[in-house]
Amino acid sequence: MQSSNSYTYFFVITMAVISALLLAMLKINLQERQEFNKALDTKKNVLKTVGLLEPGMSGSEVEELYTTRFTRQAVTDSDGNEREYYTYGSFQSPEGYVLPVSGKGVWSTINGFIALEPDKNTVKGISFYDHGETPGLGGEIEKDAFANRFRGKKIFRDGELVSITIAKARLEQESEHAVDGISGASLTTGAINTFLRKNLTDYLQLLR
Amino acid sequence: MAIKKAFDTFAGPLAKSNPITTQVLGICSALAVTVKMDTALVMSAALIFVLVGSNIIVSALRNLIPSRVRIIVMLTIIATLVICIDQILKAFLFDISKQLSIFVGLIITNCIVLGRAEAFALKNTVGESALDGLGNGIGYGLILLLVAAVRELLGSGTMLGIQIVPRFLYVDQGGWYVNNGFMLLAPGAFIILGLLVWVQRTITGYTEE
Repeated sequence: MQSSNSYTYFFVITMAVISALLLAMLKINLQERQEFNKALDTKKNVLKTVGLLEPGMSGSEVEELYTTRFTRQAVTDSDGNEREYYTYGSFQSPEGYVLPVSGKGVWSTINGFIALEPDKNTVKGISFYDHGETPGLGGEIEKDAFANRFRGKKIFRDGELVSITIAKARLEQESEHAVDGISGASLTTGAINTFLRKNLTDYLQLLR
Repeated sequence: MAIKKAFDTFAGPLAKSNPITTQVLGICSALAVTVKMDTALVMSAALIFVLVGSNIIVSALRNLIPSRVRIIVMLTIIATLVICIDQILKAFLFDISKQLSIFVGLIITNCIVLGRAEAFALKNTVGESALDGLGNGIGYGLILLLVAAVRELLGSGTMLGIQIVPRFLYVDQGGWYVNNGFMLLAPGAFIILGLLVWVQRTITGYTEE
């Protein structure tokens, strides 16, 4: 009986249905929590770019800072699309701007935020929080050590938007428009160079 | 007699037939998640859950599973358990699940799990299989934690995130100490793992046949 084809089909199909049912039930039960975590993580990263995030901050503290210190606004890019961004601090005297940046990496879409000082030129902070790059190589972009290199860099040179280039050569590092790259992650950082410049261009209406 | 056999089933994989150092299984994740001890801990817990679970289920179904499709059936069981644990981590330990990224999903292809299901659970009772899974899982976890402890201490100067190397010794604080960045990279894990295998095989006298 055990070796008959019909038994094999029966067993495999039963097995698959039970597994699928179990996983579907689990997903439905956990989905709300997972989405909450994801949304909280995004908010944490908005705070992180402007240096507000302290280690060990609770979810409700993050939530409160996020709602009281940031205002969501939008500009129109050259293609006529709405582009959302956050103003940090009060409306009259903003302390900074946080712009979402995203684009294609090597394996995945990379999402992040870049925060600018009120002069709309100096970088306050950057954070890549959602990506599927190779852990240990391209995945290093999420590390603070990498993000810290962007702080204080300038995105405009003589009134022209040059964005920030992640460079390989040490010479480039000393420029105020370039940061040191990551060994073994040339493709990921190259992709960031491309989409960072494009994303910043989309916000020209705000930055000018 | 029965108790001794049960004990051997559980304790053998802790040292003598350790899945990593003796059987050389599950190396890839051992290299990848051992930069910090907290990720190594969660990874070990996840693997123990999957290993014990799959061993119990495979053993319980061992007389029902058609032998011609047994590998696919076992993989289905393992994959189901792995997705379970991945979803649970995403819901309750989001930050750590983010650091572990794809490696929890890769437990599906961790050779230890399928290896124990095929070599042990298919031929033994549920109780023995559970013990075998637990023993192998803990044996894997021990090595992971050992490697992670060395890497975290030398690479970041911390243990479980707590600063061990005094802050004032660091160069940026006016001292002379610099963390060994090499330990944070995969080759650092290779070397520590190699040393562990060497030490263990010297003590047990185990040689490849």
